[in-house]
Amino acid sequence: MAKSGDGIRILQGLLVFGNVVIGMCGIALTAECIFFVSDPHGLYPLLEATENDDIYAAAWIGIFVGFALFALSILGIVGVIKSNRTLLLVYIILMLITYAFEMASCITAATQRDFLTPNLFLKQMLERYNKSDVDNNNDKWMAEGVTKTWDELMLQKHCCGVRGPSDWQEYTSTFRSSHKDADFPWPHNCCVMDAQGSPVNLDGCKLGVPGYYNSNGCYDAISGPMNTQAWGVAWFGFAILCWTFFVLLGTMFYWSRIEY
Amino acid sequence: PAPPALLPYVPRVPPAALPGKLTATTFALERPCCVFDRHANASDAVWLVVAFANASDAFRNPPSRADVPLYERLPAARSYMTLETPAAAYACSAPSPAILRVGDDTACGDQGGWDPCNGPLPSPGPYRVKFLVMGCQGPKAETRWSDPILLRRAGSPSTIDPAPARRDSDAVVIASILASLGTVLAVAVLGAVGTEAWRSLCRRDSGTSTFSHRSYRTHHIPPALPQPLPPGCRCSPPGLGCFAPRPPGPCPAE
Repeated sequence: MAKSGDGIRILQGLLVFGNVVIGMCGIALTAECIFFVSDPHGLYPLLEATENDDIYAAAWIGIFVGFALFALSILGIVGVIKSNRTLLLVYIILMLITYAFEMASCITAATQRDFLTPNLFLKQMLERYNKSDVDNNNDKWMAEGVTKTWDELMLQKHCCGVRGPSDWQEYTSTFRSSHKDADFPWPHNCCVMDAQGSPVNLDGCKLGVPGYYNSNGCYDAISGPMNTQAWGVAWFGFAILCWTFFVLLGTMFYWSRIEY
Repeated sequence: PAPPALLPYVPRVPPAALPGKLTATTFALERPCCVFDRHANASDAVWLVVAFANASDAFRNPPSRADVPLYERLPAARSYMTLETPAAAYACSAPSPAILRVGDDTACGDQGGWDPCNGPLPSPGPYRVKFLVMGCQGPKAETRWSDPILLRRAGSPSTIDPAPARRDSDAVVIASILASLGTVLAVAVLGAVGTEAWRSLCRRDSGTSTFSHRSYRTHHIPPALPQPLPPGCRCSPPGLGCFAPRPPGPCPAE
């Protein structure tokens, strides 16, 4: 190396350190995205029925990008230590491609957060929960997913409707067309259940007497995990990309300074 | 027979905030307690009269139990009577649930019978209700008519607009910063690769350029180590070699 030896040594050390951080963050990103894709809260059918599950696409991309970052960081460390122009050029080009993919994943996850409004889930719940007259197989699949998810949600999170039980009263729904209003002002899963899974006091639940029905809406239980997922993918990916930006600039500078 | 006694009690929907007190086909009423004790004895029955608000003035108390208009006749007669209960159930001492629900029984009207039943209301109303105490000879006491009770009308879910209210600023920040970083990187890579390509092109054109960027790897030529002095040599300046000391010449004669 013709340049000052100390300066180059420092740059090498910084680049190796930068690549080590990238590698570890890549593994963390993969782990985080695998956790999200595994859908621990069972909310994926709701997103699937909105016909816009981009958050999951972003998480899937995050899995592969994280792994690619880890592999490329190893390549980068080897290339910097050996000062090999070819290796570093391959590293830079592959990193740029990975960078582009991660950018897409980040921006998708960030913009999807706005999409998950209460009205979206309300409309979906009213139009698909307990839907019996389905048009085709796809419709049937989505209706079954929504019904099953809402039933479990109302039972486990002790909530009813999106904003509250009055959602079922303010709007007509597919549920209303198959269940009479006098018997089911809202689904029976909104009632407080005993150990055997039947309502403690069905008349009290139908009237809305406090203590016999779930008065909270389910929106927080739905949007909380989904927003956390979108947030995690978007901001963590953004942090990785900012760091990678500087490491890539340093690597390009180092590459241009390597003598033949 | 004497006209029925008019009690000052006004039936009303319970004021408590119960989400189910008014639905599309049912409504709830406060249970009258201690209202009929002076006018009814144990064999009398208390009925609830439900009429459309604009038909309540035209309602005439039925002279006997056989003339009671039933639930099935509501669309034609614009009123009916239901919730036949023994007067003892409304006594002061009777323990009772505090709320009556009108429209609770969905099995009504299916069997086609002529028993009084408490079926769901077919339209949002508005309705007015009053309580009527019927004895063996006919009506004995009645309460005042309630205020008009309007049931819920449900809207269609197609009126719900799922679009987000406003664009979140975080997404704009992330997108703009990432786009600019990506552009800078792309430009930097193109610049670096382009410069290298241009350099190699120039080098090929002017092959014997005096100013060549290609510099050779310096070889480290170790300086020659000083040979160990043969024994008998005295120190001499480096590079001059080693001179064996000459034996001292004969001393010059004095």
